[in-house]
Amino acid sequence: MLILLPQAIVDGILLGGIYLTVAMGFSLAYGVLHVIDFAVGEWIMLGAFVGLTFTNWFHLDPLLSLPVVFVIFAAVGWMLQPLLQRVLSGSRGRPVLMALVFTFGLALAFRGSALTVFGIFTHSLNTALSQGSWHVNWGSFFLTIPLIRLAGLVYALAVIVVLNYLLKKTDFGLAVRAVAQHKEAAGLMGVDIKRTSAAVYGLYVGISAMTGVFIGAIVSLNASMGPDLSLFAFFVVVLAGMGYLSGVPWASFLLGLIQSFFLIYLNPSYVLLALFTILYGILLISPTGMFRKGV
Amino acid sequence: MHRKGWWVVAALMLALGLTLVTGPTMAADEFKIGVITSLSGDLATGGSVTKRGYDLWAKAVNAQGGIEIKGKKYPVRLIYGDDQSQPAQAASAAERLAAQEKVDAILGPYASGTTLAAAPVLEKYKIPMITGSAESPLIWKQKFRYTFGTIPPVNFTGSAAIKVLAALPQGPKTAVIYGTNDTFSKATAEAFQSTAEQVGIKVLRFNILPPKQDMTPLMSAAKVLNPDLIAFGGHDEELINLVKVLTQINFTPKALIMHYGVTEPAFAQALGKNANEVLGASVWTGSLPTKGTLGWPTAKAYADAAVAEYPKDPADYTQAASSAAGLVFQAALSQLAVAPPLDEAARTKLVEVLEKIDLQTFYGHVKFATEGDYYHSNAGLTPLMVQITGGKEAVVAPADSAQAKLVYPMTPWDKR
Repeated sequence: MLILLPQAIVDGILLGGIYLTVAMGFSLAYGVLHVIDFAVGEWIMLGAFVGLTFTNWFHLDPLLSLPVVFVIFAAVGWMLQPLLQRVLSGSRGRPVLMALVFTFGLALAFRGSALTVFGIFTHSLNTALSQGSWHVNWGSFFLTIPLIRLAGLVYALAVIVVLNYLLKKTDFGLAVRAVAQHKEAAGLMGVDIKRTSAAVYGLYVGISAMTGVFIGAIVSLNASMGPDLSLFAFFVVVLAGMGYLSGVPWASFLLGLIQSFFLIYLNPSYVLLALFTILYGILLISPTGMFRKGV
Repeated sequence: MHRKGWWVVAALMLALGLTLVTGPTMAADEFKIGVITSLSGDLATGGSVTKRGYDLWAKAVNAQGGIEIKGKKYPVRLIYGDDQSQPAQAASAAERLAAQEKVDAILGPYASGTTLAAAPVLEKYKIPMITGSAESPLIWKQKFRYTFGTIPPVNFTGSAAIKVLAALPQGPKTAVIYGTNDTFSKATAEAFQSTAEQVGIKVLRFNILPPKQDMTPLMSAAKVLNPDLIAFGGHDEELINLVKVLTQINFTPKALIMHYGVTEPAFAQALGKNANEVLGASVWTGSLPTKGTLGWPTAKAYADAAVAEYPKDPADYTQAASSAAGLVFQAALSQLAVAPPLDEAARTKLVEVLEKIDLQTFYGHVKFATEGDYYHSNAGLTPLMVQITGGKEAVVAPADSAQAKLVYPMTPWDKR
């Protein structure tokens, strides 16, 4: 089965691309706002359903809905953040725990509402890319690259590049990094903490919702899809090191590759067991993530 | 709170306690039927299909005033217990319905795993349950005295479909078979595997996977093996994802069979033209020439009634079997002729009546096996093989109920 080696690598990277799309917004929210947002899967789910609604109304390719979905959800996130901020900065004890409970509540409310509004059934976003794939042959080696998965990976990498530019090269990014480092000091230096935090949360919600459109196109969407995605986002981010944004792609690809190799070469029945054993192993040796740069 | 406040609370609690104690001893003027099914969680889709089936029956029987016992009609009240798609929750729902609600009988869960968890609890309380959905052969092997089912086990229905394929002139010679790791899906995959080996189809790969696993790497590996047949045991979402993976890597086997889930309308809606030619196993469609002696007179009458109630989704075999489960209780309760509430002796007697029941319904013949590996499952039906044709399910075998000709091999994804 050596001829499957290139395919195993490519499948692993593409699968990692899916994890990357799910985890990057989550990591941003934690890195800057110190919020572990357990509603990330539900933001993704809602984004997917808005993409589906857009497609059904206008009969256009779902990928064309990406800007619309981003704008809608960025606005929602922007408006919601002050509520979260209130929970986080209240004078009551354990604000971090309160924020966790708050996002958990959001997740439940979103899931319940989606079940009521959109129903119980599984749907699929069918784009022009859904069915295409590239085939490459070198002698006995060959490769199949599904276009929609490749598009998902390109989207994830593009978001990472844009975020990197935004955070490292712009005044807004300077403000965001300042807020992430020391909120009070940043405030004293003239950074508008409320606006910056709201913008970051909006960005995160917008990105997650766009991810939903890709997930709906690559796999499928239904109102109960959120918790699994939140769990994977959490694991990727923990593996990368909580709050260490640059580690997220590598952690995602690692998870994807482990999964792909296990499915192809070892016993598929134990793939999740293997995945989590490796994850726990890494965390035991290096509790701050695989790069030892998390918090 | 002031001291006086506490007294008021205590008095109220006492009053409530007294009502609870005295409540159940009063004669009821209705049958209380518990429903345990998945109303939330991963299997909520299928769970609500069963709920629709049970609701339709209750509505129909109550429209006639209820079940007649000794000249008086007793309406039916359904009391729901959500099992949240988890076996442990199914057991506690059963406990609650039995101990607190004191139901007379129970209509059972959507999934096999939850049924297996609820059944022992109902043995303890001696409450008869009919499931209109669960299909794992494991349930019947346990020989639960109080548990019955209207759908034959999956090894019976699934194996029939593989045999039809094997009998084709250019039939499949090789297969890869996968199943998800839950009670029903695993049983389906195992049924596919053992039948394939029996009829001489070589099984190249057989694996049970964790739920919702991304199938791309597996299917890439399958593509190299180039099997004639891909058989998969799973639930709706996983089946949709599998077809999407196969189209993404552009691999079309000669036949793709997936048992339950392809008959759910959501399957064809989500996949569009790529749903066509996928095979499934079933026991009922709206076009079967059945004659009902109780409730709906024909399969078509039921299908029409179902669409009138739920216009968006036509009834599938699980919904029909769920409504039929209600009809079976209705027939058995009339024969038993004991007014509600049923005490333990009456409920045990009800089991004896159920074992002897021989009922023709819109869903087909219901007669429960009373011995062997299929103990208390419905032995009255003939398995059907269905194929999605033009976005709808059509029976392709056996020949006497076929609505369409079996398309084999499948049209490649990129030529549709």
